[in-house]
Amino acid sequence: MLDPYILQQLAIGLSLGMIYALMAIGFTLIFGVLNVVNFAHGEVYTIGAFAGLMAISAFGPPLLVVLFIALAAGALAGFGLERLAFRPFRRFSDEASLKSRAMREATLMSSLAMSIIAREAMEMIFGSQFQTVDLAYLINKPIHIGPITIVNGDLIILGVTLVMLGGLQWLLKKSPIGLSIRAVSNNALGAKYCGINTDRTIIITFVIGSAMGALAGILVGLYYGAIFPSMGFTPGIKAFVAMVMGGLSSVPGAVISAIILGLSESLSTSFMPSVWSDMVAYAFLLLTLIFFPQGLFGARRERV
Amino acid sequence: MSKSLLIKLGLLVLAFILIPALLMGFDKGYYYQIATIAAIFMLLAASLHLVTGVAGLLHLGHAALYGVGAYVAAILGANHGIGFTLGLPLAGLSAAAIAFLVALPTMRLMSIYFAVATLGIGQMLYLVFLNWVGLTNGPNGVMLFSGINLFGLEIDSDLGIYYVVAGVVAVSILVLNRLSHSYYGNALRSLREDDQCASAMGINVTVMKIQAFVISAFFAGIAGALWAYTTGYISPNDFHFSQSILILTMVVVGGLGSLPGVLIGALLLILLPEALRSVGDIRNIIVGVLMFSAILFLPKGLFGEVSALNFARRVLGQGWAAQKGEKGIGWK
Repeated sequence: MLDPYILQQLAIGLSLGMIYALMAIGFTLIFGVLNVVNFAHGEVYTIGAFAGLMAISAFGPPLLVVLFIALAAGALAGFGLERLAFRPFRRFSDEASLKSRAMREATLMSSLAMSIIAREAMEMIFGSQFQTVDLAYLINKPIHIGPITIVNGDLIILGVTLVMLGGLQWLLKKSPIGLSIRAVSNNALGAKYCGINTDRTIIITFVIGSAMGALAGILVGLYYGAIFPSMGFTPGIKAFVAMVMGGLSSVPGAVISAIILGLSESLSTSFMPSVWSDMVAYAFLLLTLIFFPQGLFGARRERV
Repeated sequence: MSKSLLIKLGLLVLAFILIPALLMGFDKGYYYQIATIAAIFMLLAASLHLVTGVAGLLHLGHAALYGVGAYVAAILGANHGIGFTLGLPLAGLSAAAIAFLVALPTMRLMSIYFAVATLGIGQMLYLVFLNWVGLTNGPNGVMLFSGINLFGLEIDSDLGIYYVVAGVVAVSILVLNRLSHSYYGNALRSLREDDQCASAMGINVTVMKIQAFVISAFFAGIAGALWAYTTGYISPNDFHFSQSILILTMVVVGGLGSLPGVLIGALLLILLPEALRSVGDIRNIIVGVLMFSAILFLPKGLFGEVSALNFARRVLGQGWAAQKGEKGIGWK
């Protein structure tokens, strides 16, 4: 029998990992279709949290509606982000410029610029301090299972994430939209020649990925009861680490790495002060990059 | 010849006579502060320029190496009584040493993987600054009361501090200028364009990259020491990831690979928020918008690499001009 404390840490780590997974999916999908890192993903997460918060304070809908509002806000943010920060830099679509470093760096910087603008705008509107969340909405009611105590948020996060992951898997594998997303991420130019509307596919990818990121944002906001404009930074980096560990464009790889990351982070608190637990993620990142440069689950690539 | 000398003299006069005269005219501590901060960030941007602009390695942890320099200088100065004269080179050397350790395993990584690795290392160093309370005093930061003591000469006036900072920055930028506009710089540029080809031509790619990274970290450490001594107080937030991004923005807005452009970019991004201080909270948004529009409308930067190289060849490097009976083939 495991120590109850360890079991409890495992439960917390699992919900943490699920949150990272939700965010990492957005990163991975977008990297898959565009081959660029979207640095504004952390801000999408914050936007989701704030959209849910505003809905709660405006008309107090049931929790499920709050989640759907966050999803919608994330989808809208993803759409706007693609239009503003990515579309203008896709002026040329031949293979050379699709792979060119200059273009990739331009989109990387423009997504960074967008994230600065979004974060500063939110700070101006809401102030940089923590927002108070209506206590009735917090998902931290304790539930006792045998020797351990978890909160209902753990179960909600687990359930919501599993539903989202299942839905995503269905979407990617069975639906025509998923087929076109997979086609574009495999070979953008080839997909275009086959008559797939690549621009539309890219927008759909952004919408899906950002909606999942925003959902993660509102779930964490309600779980910890802390919503503030710079909340997206750390989970954004963690999700990024999960994406790299998973091999940059493999969705299952990213999810598994995100869960490993969450579990090891929460288990690490039994060995060292919790302020150092972020170090675990960065250590994982460096070890992966040095010893498994193509990711733990990624396909082999030519050069990394 | 005469034109190049004029421009060099003009820059020196600007930095060491005109700006101090202006500062004396206004005579407010606030203006001195901005001038020294602008000089420090010009050095930071110029050092990142060597790695990101010239050698083409996207480096997202520059602020952390700058932080290493600042913490070394501040802790040596506050707890061990090592003054400015010795602390400045020690800060640079320790940042360079850490960069060397970091570079050994990571320098074989390509493009985005290298960027991610530097981001991770930057965050690790930030966590050390924030959480190793015994050494760095944690989130409270380190106070450095001792002023700048240059070979026994106590410098405590605002003008004197400006002169020390401007002198150190000018010498460092001169070195970086010689490095990036030389055969050595050309070799680094060839790594950026095609490292496999450069390697086939006999350039040791990994060693060159490590050298560029370590040199840049050395100057970042110097900038950190200057920051610690001029502000007298450092805290982990001065070296957060967002500072790395700010420095990177300077490089990109100014022009990747162009040293004069990078310096202009640094000036712009330090002075503009100060000039917009009256606008209040909106100024950070304006910085973001500026960065975005620079990428969209000026993809080469304010002073693109090609024109910057032409400028440097024509005006700053007489060695480039062909001597009589010789072929002008490269930098001297």
